[in-house]
Amino acid sequence: MEKNNKIMAITIGIICFILVLTIFVQFKTVEETDISGIERMQETELKEALSQWKQKYEEANEKLEDTNEKIKEYSNQEQDKTKTSNLLQEELKNANMILGKTDVEGEGIEIIVSDGYKVEVNGNRAEQNVVAKDLVNLVNELKKAGAEAISINDQRVVNMTDIVDIGNNYILVNSQNVSNPYTIKAIGEKTYLQSALGIKNGYVDQMAASGKNVTVEAKRNIKILKYEAKTDKNKMQFKYIKEK
Amino acid sequence: MNKKNQVAITLGLMCFILTALIVVQVNTINNANSAIGQARNENDLRDEVLKWKEKYDVTYSNLEKAEKNLENLRQNASNNDETTKQMEEELKTANKLLGLTELTGDGIVITLEDGTDLIHQEDLIYVVNELKNAGAEAISINGQRLVSTSFISCDGNVILINGNKIGTPFVVQAIGYPSTLYGALMRNGGYLEKLQDIGIKVETKKVENIVIQKYNGIIDSKYMKVVE
Repeated sequence: MEKNNKIMAITIGIICFILVLTIFVQFKTVEETDISGIERMQETELKEALSQWKQKYEEANEKLEDTNEKIKEYSNQEQDKTKTSNLLQEELKNANMILGKTDVEGEGIEIIVSDGYKVEVNGNRAEQNVVAKDLVNLVNELKKAGAEAISINDQRVVNMTDIVDIGNNYILVNSQNVSNPYTIKAIGEKTYLQSALGIKNGYVDQMAASGKNVTVEAKRNIKILKYEAKTDKNKMQFKYIKEK
Repeated sequence: MNKKNQVAITLGLMCFILTALIVVQVNTINNANSAIGQARNENDLRDEVLKWKEKYDVTYSNLEKAEKNLENLRQNASNNDETTKQMEEELKTANKLLGLTELTGDGIVITLEDGTDLIHQEDLIYVVNELKNAGAEAISINGQRLVSTSFISCDGNVILINGNKIGTPFVVQAIGYPSTLYGALMRNGGYLEKLQDIGIKVETKKVENIVIQKYNGIIDSKYMKVVE
């Protein structure tokens, strides 16, 4: 009886020892293979970088093919005046279109931003006027969403367009008065433009939270007028660039 | 007998606890193994990113050569005729206005650095808007040229311009009439003053012969057409 007990105690002791050992081994393994959440984030970051470089490559490749095509055309025109003139005309047309010097049309969205109000705790209405910053931010959001041409109350937004407040009732775009309500037109992929503004906590939500009114409508065809400089400052030209 | 039972139960419990612990650990290790798989996946991704970046670099340098070539061809083709020569000049000017060439001129350089408060995307957007209002002719931020399709965005706490990440300090270069630019940006109640007040380090200098790099992206126009 005593012998049996001893054998049992030893067996159990050995089993316990083995189990404890196993646990220790496992602990060590876990420590060595610990991978924190930060590296998970790196994976999403890497995926983003990958799609960004792919996109940049595709764009550059497209442009390269386009340029090579033009090179071919210029090489084949054999000093023919008319052909050269036609080629230049086409290139100029495209450059002027991007600069904003021509009327353009295409699919896009129409946004109406207007003054609103907020109801305060005491029940009073507090006027919330649209300010220049609201429009500056909108233009930035639209460009981010791929807008190719933008206008605010028919003032074409070009590279050097400025948007500033004049008192409480007017906003100057390209040094010209625009006033409430503001109609912003943008040409680009209409569904993408629309959803970019409409995302949760996006532009539309932010404006609504501040008590201002925003409506966004996708349209099959939008016409945007060309840029017209009314003041000398707004002329599309360089005065302070030094020729090398 | 009772005593024996107690011992048996205690031992049983101990074994159960130990086994349970082992099961938990095995599970943890399995999870960790999938994390290792992820790490391997990450290395693949890293290689992939480098591969595409290289493809882009090669294509971009080919593009630059092709553009030079095209410019020469244009010039040669239009040299003999007054009308085409004029058009060629006009095209050159248009490309300059589009931001497709490097430019040199006098202007101001504003350096913004995170201080007790951080710089946000809006801050850069509003400073740029003030520069445009003051008549700036060309603007870049940390070497990123601002063109008609440029936007400033943020992703977490990283600021992006034209989709490229940039960080503090932000160096904003602007070509224009230096005194006008300086006076407008440094005026009382201007945006730079506000930034300074909330604890951002602001330094503005008039600088001669600023070199502003050309835009190294593509200005797309897939959706708009000229109204004939």
